[in-house]
Amino acid sequence: MKAYLSVFRLRRRLETQYRGAVLGGVICQVFFGIILIAIYRALYAGKPQDYPFAQIASYVWLQQAFFRMLLASDADLLDKIRTGGIAYDLCRPLNLYGFYYVRILAQKMMGSLLRAVPMLVFAVLLPEGWGLSAPASAAGCCWALAGLLLGLLCVSAMENITMGFTMRTLDSRGMQGLLNLLMMILAGNVLPLTLFPDSWQKVITLLPYAQMLDAPIRLYTGQTTPAEAPRILLIQAAWILILTGTGMFFWNRNQKRIVIQGG
Amino acid sequence: MDTIKLYLHSMRMLIRSQLQYPASFFMQTLAQLVMEGGEMLAVILLVDRFERMNQWGPGDLYFFFGMMSVTFYLTECFGRGITGNFPYMIRTGQLDTCLLRPRGLLTQVLCSAVDPRRITCIAVGVAALVMGSSLSAIRWTAVKVLLLAEAIVCGCALILGLFVIEAIFCIYSVKSVELVNALTYGGRSACQYPIDTYPRPLRVLFTVFAPFALTMHVPGSMILDKPLFGWPLWTAFVSPLSGFAAFGVIFLVFRRAIRHYRSTGS
Repeated sequence: MKAYLSVFRLRRRLETQYRGAVLGGVICQVFFGIILIAIYRALYAGKPQDYPFAQIASYVWLQQAFFRMLLASDADLLDKIRTGGIAYDLCRPLNLYGFYYVRILAQKMMGSLLRAVPMLVFAVLLPEGWGLSAPASAAGCCWALAGLLLGLLCVSAMENITMGFTMRTLDSRGMQGLLNLLMMILAGNVLPLTLFPDSWQKVITLLPYAQMLDAPIRLYTGQTTPAEAPRILLIQAAWILILTGTGMFFWNRNQKRIVIQGG
Repeated sequence: MDTIKLYLHSMRMLIRSQLQYPASFFMQTLAQLVMEGGEMLAVILLVDRFERMNQWGPGDLYFFFGMMSVTFYLTECFGRGITGNFPYMIRTGQLDTCLLRPRGLLTQVLCSAVDPRRITCIAVGVAALVMGSSLSAIRWTAVKVLLLAEAIVCGCALILGLFVIEAIFCIYSVKSVELVNALTYGGRSACQYPIDTYPRPLRVLFTVFAPFALTMHVPGSMILDKPLFGWPLWTAFVSPLSGFAAFGVIFLVFRRAIRHYRSTGS
């Protein structure tokens, strides 16, 4: 356990090193957020929906702020798979799946926190209807934080499954690209899931992708009431178990038939 | 003429080399389809929920989306050297070899890469154009076809120019500056929708500094018979030229910047 903890700490520290790149990324993401909100505002003015626009604005900002949680991936691992460096990691007295799970967890957590804090501060300062509004209730906010934590575990487990595919195919761009795109759409980054047709939402919100950011954001904006929160968290927890289990099984199988590249 | 022959020759070579790994190529092309298909899906779902945006109906919105996709991905496909590799070439010092050869620098960079995977994105764009045109019941005339072609060509020039800005920053700072993505990819995302969607500061940005509105939305709205700001027909032919004007200005800046180029190579 101590070993995993120190891996986590090391990785977390590494993620805070490139602050200039973070600043550029944040400004870009803010710009995208403003554009998206302008588009939705123009649409909303023509045909208001049955919830206030402020909820959509908050949804967009929270998605943009935690964007890095969805998309960060372990570039070292990709290199190691391609070059055969993964052989060294096989020698470590650690579970390989756990080792990489902790690494990606630290990377996603620190990477997104580093970007989210300045972005959310900026978003709060924007005028009403453009910026991030306060959470629906204090209880909702607490549930949302718990949901975000579970979402983080969920997205890390998903990332390891994607990596499992990469170990098989060695091509990081094809399968990984496809799965990542699917994630961006179904997690609500391209279009808020709340704007999908209502009949689709019933299914989409049950998928693992919706557990990553959509579920906590809905808890924050109050579209899911605190009374429903335990059920949502249970769905999240169930997906974490399923995804982690699948990932572990996949990695163990991969380890048995692993072919080390390079020489 | 010679330059064009050279460009076509290198395109042929590059495409053939990419097809050496058919499975990977196929997967990546598919991924591109999912990506652009997802963007298109977002527009369709928004139209499904909101029906219209200001004065623009569903067909109009698909048409604008299609114009942007076709233009942007034609540029990304054939201008890959500039849109993708240029900062990398500066960072690694590969540009040195180009400086030694008796050809224009941009020509050589353009000849260095092509991205045929974008073909599916362009196809999605064409589908959106066709869908938009039939939904909005556009009566096509020779003038309108000419207008569309002009808008796309000028749009490509504009987008290439915006990507050169990144290269200019790169010459001074070596590191590729992602901030410029706000103009290129941000411009693409924003100007999939007509310019009157946006508040004034964004309108100014996309009309004066990165004139997507002039190269795409003015002719586009003319084709849809809903001219923006009530401007007359001739403006739709003149305003896209701003794309070439922007490219020209950026190219001149680039020429100056390249004098400061200090190789990073070892």
